[in-house]
Amino acid sequence: MPPTSSQLLLSPAELSYLHSSLSLTPPIRPDGRTTTQFRPLVAESGIIPSANGSARVCFSDGTEAIAGVKAEVEKSQWRPGSTEQSLQVDEDGGDDEAGQAGTQGTGENSWISMSIEVPGFRDDDALPVFLSAMLTEALLADGKLKDRLWINRRFHWKLYIDILLLSAPLSYPLPLLSLTTHLALLSARLPKLKSEGDEDPLFDDDWEASTYLYPRDTKGACLDRPPITLLVIAVGPNFVFDPSKEELAVAEAVIALSAGTSDASTLNKNLRLLSIRTIDPPSRLTPLGIPDALSSAATGSAPLPPDEQLAAREGTDEHGVWNPPRGGMKRAVLAQIIKAVIEPGGVAQEVMDGLMHVEV
Amino acid sequence: MTSLKRAHPSDGTTGNLSSKVYVRTTRAGKVQKIVRELYLRQDIPCSSKLCTICLSSAPTNYHSKPQPFILSATPTGTKSFPNGHYLVPDTNAFINGMDLFEIETAFTDVIVLQTVLEEVKNRSLPLYHRLVSLTKNEDKRFYVFFNEFRKETYVERDSGESINDRNDRAVRRCVSWYSEHLKKAVGKKSSRCPTVVMITDDKDNLRKAKAESVVGLSLHNYVSGLDNADQLLDMVTEGREQRSTGKAELFYPGYFSLSKMMTGIKAGTLHQGIFNVSPYNYLEGTIHVPAFDKSLIVLGRENSNRAVSGDVVVVEILPKDQWKAPSSKIIEEETVNKDDNADAEQGEGVTTERERKALQEEVKRIHGKTSEGRPQPTARVVGVIKRNWRQYVGHVDKDSVRSSTQQSRAQQTVFVIPMDKRIPKIRVRTRQAGELLGKRVLITIDSWDRESRYPVGHFVRSLGELENKGAETEALLLEFDVQYRPFPKTVLDCLPVEGHDWRIPASLDDPGWKGRRDLRDLLVCSIDPVGCVDIDDALHARPLPNGNFEVGVHIADVSHFVKPNNAMDKEASIRGTTVYLVDKRIDMLPMLLGTDLCSLKPYVERYAFSVIWEVTPDADIVSSSFTKSVIRSREAFSYEQAQLRIDDMSQKDDLTQGMRTLLMLSKKLKKKRMDAGALNLASPEVRVEAESETSDPVDVKTKQLLDTNSLVEEFMLLANCSVAARNYEAYPQTALLRRHGAPPKSNFEELANQLKVKKGMELKTDNSKAVADSLDTCVDASEPYFNTMIRILATRCMMSAEYFCAGTQSYPEFRHYGLASEIYTHFTSPIRRYADLEAHRQLAAAISYETLDPSLHSKPKLEAVCKNINVRHRNAQLAGRASVDYYVGQALKGRVLEEDGFVMKVFSNGFTVIVPRFGIERLIRLRDLATPEPESEFDAEEYVLKFTGARVGRVELFGKVKVRIEDVLEESTGKRSIKLSLV
Repeated sequence: MPPTSSQLLLSPAELSYLHSSLSLTPPIRPDGRTTTQFRPLVAESGIIPSANGSARVCFSDGTEAIAGVKAEVEKSQWRPGSTEQSLQVDEDGGDDEAGQAGTQGTGENSWISMSIEVPGFRDDDALPVFLSAMLTEALLADGKLKDRLWINRRFHWKLYIDILLLSAPLSYPLPLLSLTTHLALLSARLPKLKSEGDEDPLFDDDWEASTYLYPRDTKGACLDRPPITLLVIAVGPNFVFDPSKEELAVAEAVIALSAGTSDASTLNKNLRLLSIRTIDPPSRLTPLGIPDALSSAATGSAPLPPDEQLAAREGTDEHGVWNPPRGGMKRAVLAQIIKAVIEPGGVAQEVMDGLMHVEV
Repeated sequence: MTSLKRAHPSDGTTGNLSSKVYVRTTRAGKVQKIVRELYLRQDIPCSSKLCTICLSSAPTNYHSKPQPFILSATPTGTKSFPNGHYLVPDTNAFINGMDLFEIETAFTDVIVLQTVLEEVKNRSLPLYHRLVSLTKNEDKRFYVFFNEFRKETYVERDSGESINDRNDRAVRRCVSWYSEHLKKAVGKKSSRCPTVVMITDDKDNLRKAKAESVVGLSLHNYVSGLDNADQLLDMVTEGREQRSTGKAELFYPGYFSLSKMMTGIKAGTLHQGIFNVSPYNYLEGTIHVPAFDKSLIVLGRENSNRAVSGDVVVVEILPKDQWKAPSSKIIEEETVNKDDNADAEQGEGVTTERERKALQEEVKRIHGKTSEGRPQPTARVVGVIKRNWRQYVGHVDKDSVRSSTQQSRAQQTVFVIPMDKRIPKIRVRTRQAGELLGKRVLITIDSWDRESRYPVGHFVRSLGELENKGAETEALLLEFDVQYRPFPKTVLDCLPVEGHDWRIPASLDDPGWKGRRDLRDLLVCSIDPVGCVDIDDALHARPLPNGNFEVGVHIADVSHFVKPNNAMDKEASIRGTTVYLVDKRIDMLPMLLGTDLCSLKPYVERYAFSVIWEVTPDADIVSSSFTKSVIRSREAFSYEQAQLRIDDMSQKDDLTQGMRTLLMLSKKLKKKRMDAGALNLASPEVRVEAESETSDPVDVKTKQLLDTNSLVEEFMLLANCSVAARNYEAYPQTALLRRHGAPPKSNFEELANQLKVKKGMELKTDNSKAVADSLDTCVDASEPYFNTMIRILATRCMMSAEYFCAGTQSYPEFRHYGLASEIYTHFTSPIRRYADLEAHRQLAAAISYETLDPSLHSKPKLEAVCKNINVRHRNAQLAGRASVDYYVGQALKGRVLEEDGFVMKVFSNGFTVIVPRFGIERLIRLRDLATPEPESEFDAEEYVLKFTGARVGRVELFGKVKVRIEDVLEESTGKRSIKLSLV
């Protein structure tokens, strides 16, 4: 389900050329990058003064996105499932002891809401919905974020993440949006809680006293980071990170990987895979090349009936003739990709470290 | 990519834009991050008359003139600052020393920084208001400098810097900027350049100031350099840090956090209300909360937890096994804790041994008869929402002054005993203990910490010797918060320029005549107490051809002279009412209006607001009309004169005939009102009809009521009712009305029970009619005074009448219980009551005489007005009574009399007696009867107190006793007052 406007008008011959150069060992990318190299990007955070956190990222292909994070206090719903503690609230209405017992609760998925605005799309179109589902999924899979939204047994923060894609979606915008969200969350701060226990929450009115949503140590280094979602394509035995639109056009498989800091990450060097999704490759819709043997113009013979032509076409694997891939990738490739992403010093690590340097 | 971010102010000094970020929690619980943009300017003047630079750049007003500069060119100097100085106090200097800044002899030329002003506002609203009024006082030369908006003095908060540190830095920046700026402005004549002095009590700030070579002094150091430093130093607030006793013991439980209280109140587990202390038992407080019909009781110091009478507190209900009946015992602070040492903190418990004993006995008593099932819910205070501390009048407890130090100037801690018995004694540090003994002093409470048994306060000023007439009167006025200062110039400027020569315009074309009826030919007269100078009302009556009568009530047209929202109107709305003391009257309006221009004096033409009815001979109203008018009163009678004239059958003139008509009609009106269930009540000082609503303030000696009193009364009531109905018709939301709520049945329970037990009489309380009727039956043939006494007691069971704004209540709630009137307002005394003035304005608009001022359209504004005048009205009454009390005491000075008295209330260790002849009511304690205190046996069901031991006797409720009246110097208040003792 790639955006139609990202369809490139490449001829079968051009597609075939791209495909074969990407299938080489090592692959040759049209813009000369290595497989794990990202396009340069410009980013800044804290651009919206009245939001809790915000960021803006521009990719060099001209795509640009803004993300804002806003937190609101919301009353928690009592659920029969989350029994005992809630019952206690009713009984002793915020007794000190009970307040201490429940200093940390678990969050719920509904506490994070994301909306994505893509120019030219309605908000219920498939692309924005799908994108926000994927990004939310990664945030929730992280597990720790929603728990941090817990204030007390009666109240929680509700996090609204609004992402605005400023440019037309030239290539698949997932990495752009993910990085922007990452930065926005990294810069997001919540007012400091002053009340105790299960009281109606009361906050310090000094914004300087607010705490980062992703906690930092005294020196300002992050103890935890938001997840990022990367896009990888596989071409033959190779894989390529941060594909350009031309590369996407010949991808045999497109996968989105979300990586986040691992649970027991005191070292925070260890990343873990949070989610993985395959995406319908746009190459499926490219026009197929016709080998000379089947071309009526080349052979001069009458064209075959469509079904016979298809059958004949299926059998050929002529080099240099573009054949839209039908999906699927080798397990070994997938394993390699995952490894490349999450290994210490891997791609995800590199991207996160790069974004850390953006001034908050 | 160009950055979208706002340029950071730290990027360059050229930027004149900055922003301020903070978190706001809305009432609905929403938490918002607020970003305010700040535009920095360079044209905010320093306002020193020395400065010419600022004068040229200062913003100008409509007439292209800048605001006149405030700070003097030759400010006063001290020894250390011979060139004169400007003061720049920081926040804690104002908080700790507001009383100092208000004195007239020092502290002039003060620069109040915006940073400081805002901090003061956040810390204490009352102090903020005082500071703002100081800045408006031209003589004090206080200038508010908006340093946060001036580019040179604005400071950006550094990362990691606390708000306080940042504000301190802002203050220092201002001081150094001012110094440099003034030097530049003064130029070569630098010898005359005043020093800019920062005053702060923050040690860290002082240290930093020194490092930055900014002149800074602590408040204490600065004051020490002034003349009469001793007196001034006493006025500095007792700071917390001055308590040296290190590891203090905590006497009281801590308060809940604000959020915890709010959560509790919302959830209904905690309750909020105003804390009231019983005048008989200082350890017992009551709180009325909406959730319960009966008040909650707070017993003991620990439970009342530092709440002072009048505070808005949050309470928690105690478990049921701790519920108690209200106390039947008198407990007075000065007898229980007689010789506490003010200095010693050690060994103090929250409750002293004796207090505990007193309470213990209480509990025993309750437990003895739990079967009766009377216990009421008790509660404990868990937090204070709003302190209602004011300045208190009191005197220094002489036991707390160390005799050896009476003449020395050393600082020592003494107790000040407030005049109001409900306020605990206050610990005050002073250097002038010796001088203050035997004086009336004014003090304020500063704080009440957990480690202190009594609140800590400071001395404000001395009012004079105890028992000195001036001092006592001033004490009274201060205690009841009566504004008694002379009217300021701004108010006097609102008076007509002609002064006493002002006349009704002769030409009927004059705008003053527009919309007015010429009623000068009516035979109008006024009837008032002897010597009345502010004549509010006048009357007339004349027969109509159809056999009916035309009756007119003419009220002084004050609203013609007092226009809404000018300075005079504001002053009047603050004063709310004229206060009558025995020897003094504190006017609501300046004399010129009250006693001359508005007063309906005889033989001169005056503007009036007239209510005219057509009345049948049976006193039924046929029609009523309202009009602004001009009248000429033919005569001003006193009640006695009027009575004589009516009774003198030889007088046959029209005026007398008119008065006879009025008298005839008033009797019929009264009859009708009584039939409808109006109450005839009594109060102890003087016999006053419940219709004191309109009655003129009563002379102490006036006991005899003439027919003419009730003549005026009836027509005033009628006018008030008619106007109320008319105003309500015109403004159903905003009419200013007066209501008297029906008392809850439980209020009468005690009295009804007492009557049943003691006299076998029945008090029906279903409605006012039933009350009125059954009060009439409560007669003891042998004791004519008995009925009056019951009426006094019944009055105490009632609610107090109050002003309100029509839109805040439903129509059935408008009812005036005492008058049995559906709707009522005050209209007939605009010279001495602000409510009447507002009613005049509304009526004038209702009859399309003029347009209604917007302030009278606004419900919130009217509600605020009502709230204020209700308080003022009540205070005026209390002040009047206290004044009578004082004078009765003075009158009986040095005399010993024996009189008959009646027992009104019985406690387990005492009883109160009322003496009809003087209308005085006093407490007689058992321990006053004999020493040692007689053993007592109190039968609460039969209201009988038997005592044996040193003295044997029996006292029962409503019983007649012989008492000795003598005057004594009361220990607790230092006031001479009357003491009763059993003969």
